[in-house]
This record gives sequence, structure tokens and C-alpha cells, in this order.
Amino acid sequence: MKQDTAAKMMIISSVLFFGLALTMGLLTALKFIAPTVGEIEYLSLPRVRILHTNVNLYGWLLQANMGILFWILPRILHTKLFSEKLGVVMGIIYNATLLGGAVCILMGKIQNVEYGELPLVIDLLVVLCWVMFAINVFGTVAIRKVKYLYVSVWYTLGAVIWTTFVYITGNLVTALPMVTGVNQANLSWFFVHNAVGLIFTPMGVAMAYYLIPKQLNTPIYSHKLSMIGFWVISFVYVWTGAHHMIHGPISHWLQTVSIIFSFSLIIPVIAVITNFFGTFATAPRKLRMDGPIPKLLMMGTIYYIFTCLQGPFQAIRAVNEITSKTDWVVGHAHMALFGAFSYYAMAGIYYIAPKLTGRDLYSKKMGDLHFWIMTLSSIPFFAVLWISGVIQGFAWLNPENTFVQTLAALKHAHIMRLLTGSGIFVAYVLFLYNVLQTFFGKYADEAEAETISE
Amino acid sequence: MKKPDVEKSLILTALFAFLIFAVGAVMTTIVPPMVDKTLWDAGDHDVHEYTEQELRGIAIYKSQGCVYCHTQQVRKLASDQRRYGWRLVEAPASESWEYVNDKDHFLGTKRTGPDLARVGGKYSSEWHWAHFKDPRNMGEKFASPNGAYQSASIMPSFKYLSDDEIKDLTAYIQTLGRNQNWRKDADENPLNDYEQ
Repeated sequence: MKQDTAAKMMIISSVLFFGLALTMGLLTALKFIAPTVGEIEYLSLPRVRILHTNVNLYGWLLQANMGILFWILPRILHTKLFSEKLGVVMGIIYNATLLGGAVCILMGKIQNVEYGELPLVIDLLVVLCWVMFAINVFGTVAIRKVKYLYVSVWYTLGAVIWTTFVYITGNLVTALPMVTGVNQANLSWFFVHNAVGLIFTPMGVAMAYYLIPKQLNTPIYSHKLSMIGFWVISFVYVWTGAHHMIHGPISHWLQTVSIIFSFSLIIPVIAVITNFFGTFATAPRKLRMDGPIPKLLMMGTIYYIFTCLQGPFQAIRAVNEITSKTDWVVGHAHMALFGAFSYYAMAGIYYIAPKLTGRDLYSKKMGDLHFWIMTLSSIPFFAVLWISGVIQGFAWLNPENTFVQTLAALKHAHIMRLLTGSGIFVAYVLFLYNVLQTFFGKYADEAEAETISE
Repeated sequence: MKKPDVEKSLILTALFAFLIFAVGAVMTTIVPPMVDKTLWDAGDHDVHEYTEQELRGIAIYKSQGCVYCHTQQVRKLASDQRRYGWRLVEAPASESWEYVNDKDHFLGTKRTGPDLARVGGKYSSEWHWAHFKDPRNMGEKFASPNGAYQSASIMPSFKYLSDDEIKDLTAYIQTLGRNQNWRKDADENPLNDYEQ
């Protein structure tokens, strides 16, 4: 089978899933303003929201990450993908599974785990795909032609190992009959938080550790910082799940443990960020602003800092009292998964798509335009969610405000959220067009070359 | 002795990455229920056993995704306890033993709508029926159905549920928060409920 078929297939389908996810996001935002829109069971607000998060997480981001790593790993390890056939078969099963999962969600056949709503049968198929992915990753590392494992490889290995346990705990262990109530809540928040922290963070950081030095043609700033970042995050991240229940009905000591470790997360994050910025700072000036790729990587890194500083501070009990359960949390989650890691994934796709087709990106200018529209929409998009979260958090402190009054105060925030969200969607359409043209389109100079040869 | 070079070995990197992760994983998933029995055992407390109708209601609550907008936890905060109290009686904070019979927990992460942990008995079942059919009509609580608050609520209508389904759902909602008997007056007499 042709090399990189699996990478190509997964990248293209992930980009399409991204569109579906964003559409569901817009529909959710619209329902916050006009709740009577689409008032049928299959498109009720919760179902649309569940579809939005799941398609984003598994259809877009995880699939894009896997596709990009299928391409990156063989390059780092100077070898071929362990089994291209296995990769393609996995990609097909994975996409079919997700489509089935999307139908289940619309029908309301869901598991009661946030981010893990896909029903049990679908979960098992996802696990099957994950095992196939793991075989390919470990196989590729095993048949490598270089001695040392680069940082990206550590993070990928970590993601594969950790995710196996995190996913099984969240989706299968929580379904066991003796797991009930708050005990189950603890396990499902172990999953929710580590799905972001031990799946998307290591995969995103792995991509960035490859893309930033490659694109900027500059060696990574510090090897020591890479090591500190990796080993500290693999120890610290997993402890933080219970910070979703601060002030809630769970053991006080467990909350405190989660707060301490949430704060410790500043250490690995600063190590990684210093490394990325150090690389940017030592790179030639011209390369730093050349096309959309370095811009997306830079902005993704900035979002990564902000989201990872928010996290520790939100976990402080006094701050949590205001921000928890409000729109603030929604803004925080968007900045991590959309701001940081989707930016890295889009940079990766812009980097790899031309390499897969053996020609330049269809349009650098359009790529720049996509970057600027998306960034200038996403900053107010996040900000408006934080602002409305703080407004609501303080409004709740006064018991004389009825609940609907505290909701009425957010009307303008909800309208802004739809408008800025639409900006993000417009930018996505440019991204989609650019990527699809790079893969399948006809270029102006190629068309000219054809007419000349005729 | 030669130092093992982790960066050169697939097996060592993978093994260390797993072990270092496993410490935290065990401490935060397996240890808590061992240390704190109230996570799964109510002890001497009397916890409501759900009837068949209420279990059907739970299934509807789950499949309609109510938890995405309504939490079910009164946090240990004065603001929560006052807001979700009843006729100037503060709601007691939720305790972990109250949830031991919930096969699916609905603690939730986001309050687009109010918390429901102690909502059982606060409104009549007829009120709930009308509310599911037309959530933006707040009924007796807000006299004018076309007033300022009508447009504020963004709860979707559940009019596509059958009457039986709404009855099941309401039966479940009326059980919420009653594992603690908290609505009583100064002489420990139970305060009036809509159902009594």
C-alpha cells in the first residue's frame, strides 16, 4: 500500500468532522438566544451540545492528531509506518464508528459521562481502534533506524499508554453495577480531565515539538526543559480530576490534593512554554512570520499558556466559588481544546498536506487570512464567555437575584458568543477550502503548464 | 554501574511513563472509596430506593441530557445553600452518602439552569407538567407570562415527551434531595409541601 495513505485519509476526514462539530457549536449558541429554534427531540439543546463536544474531540481533534502523528513518527524515527494497512483499516473502522456514535447521540442513546457519551458498543469499537493505533505506534518505534527517542516520541508513547487506562476507567469502569453516585462522579471526572490532559495535551505537545523546530529550521531551545516538562506532567496531571468537585459532596482531602496538583501543573507547562518560546526567539526573523504555520503554532502556544494559568487559579477554592458551573468553564475548555490544540493540529495539517501531495500549499495568503479571522474571532469568543461567567458567578452570590434574572444578565454575552463563533466558522471554511484544494484542486500554474503542453 | 539510558529504550520510556502515571491514578481512583466509605455506603442513613416509575424517569433524565444544564449538588457554600433553600430555610449541603443509590450520578458541571439537588417537593407535579410543556411560562412564580423573565429562560420545551414520560420524569424529580429531612419549622414539624 502507498506510504502515508492512512495519514492522508485521517487528516481529510478529520477536517470534514471539524465542520460538523463547528456547525453543532453554532446551533448550540443559537439556541441560547432563540431556544425555540429546531425544537425537535433529535436536535434538543443537550443533544446538540453532546454532539458538538464528541465530534470535536474524537472526530476532529483526536483523528487529526493520529493522522499527523502517522506522518511525523516515521520521519522522526527514519523509518516507515509499522503497518500502513493496519493504519488504513483502523481509519475506516474509526470513522464508521464515529458516524454510528453520532447517530446514537442524536437518538439519545448515551452514557452518562461527560465527553464519554458514546454508548458502550461504540466505546468498545473505539478501544479496538486505539489498540490498532497503539500497535502501529509501538511497532514504528520498534523498527526505528535512530538510536535516541525524540521528545515527540515520548509524548506519543505516553499518550498511548495513559489514554488506554483513562478511557477504560471513564467509559467501561463507570458502567460497572457497583460504581454509583459520587464514587462514579470521581471516576468520570478522572476521565474528563485526563481526556484533555493525557490525550490531547501530550499529542498536541508532541506535534508542536516536531513542527516548531522544523518549520523555523531551528533546534529546540533546551533538551533539559523537554525532559522536565515530560516527566513532571506524567506524574502530576493525573491527580487533578477531583478539582471538578471543589466545594462539592466529595472528601475534603481529595479536593485539596487535586488543588495542590492543579497548581503544580504550572511547572511542566512553563518548562514546555519556555522551550517553545526559546525556539521562536532564536529562529530567523523571516521564518517566524512566513505563512500561516508559524503563526498558528505561536498563537496555539499563547493560548496554551493562558489556559494552563487559568487552570491552577480556577482550582483555588475562593476563585472556584465564583467561576465554577458558569460560562467561565466553557471559555476555559474552549481555549484548551480549540485555542491551543486545534491550532497545533491546523498547523500540522498545513505543514503535512503539501508534503503528502508533493506541491506547495494552495494559498499561503488564504492561510494567513484564515489565521487572522480565526484569531480575531476567538479572542473575543473566549473573553465573552469568561466575562459572562464572572457576571453570573457574582450574581449567584446574592440570593435575592432569581435564577432567571442572573441568566437575563447574560443575553448580550450570548449574542456576542454567536457572532464571534460565526467568525470562527468563516475562518474554518477558508481552512477547509485551502486544505481540500491542496489535496485535490487544480493549481493556476499547473493549469497553465497543461495548456502550454497542449 | 552504568546508568540506564531511558531515552534510548522504548521499553524503559514506556514503563517509566506508565509507573509514574499509575501512582496518581491509583491514589485518585482506587484509594478514595477505600478511605471514605460514604462514597458508596450510606451507613446508618436512610436512602430512598427508587421505584420502577422513578427509574424510568431517571432513564429519561439521562437520555434527554438534563445534566448538561442542571447540576445536582448544593455545594458547601452559603450562597448555594440560601439560593436552593425553601421559604427562608437553608438547604443543607449535599453529602456523598445521599447519592449511593444513583446508578447514574447527575452532579453536573454547568448551571445554565438552576441546581436541582433539593428540588423535590418544592413545586407541585402539575407545575412540573406545565413547565416541561412550556418552560418559558414560569407560571405562578411570575404573574405575567409575557413579562421580562419569559424571554430570559432558555430551557428547551419537552413537549415531544408523552404524558406518561413526563409523569415518570416528574416522579423522579420529586424525590430529589429528600434523603435529608430539611424542610421543618422551629418545632421540628415538617413544613407544608405541595404534596401534603
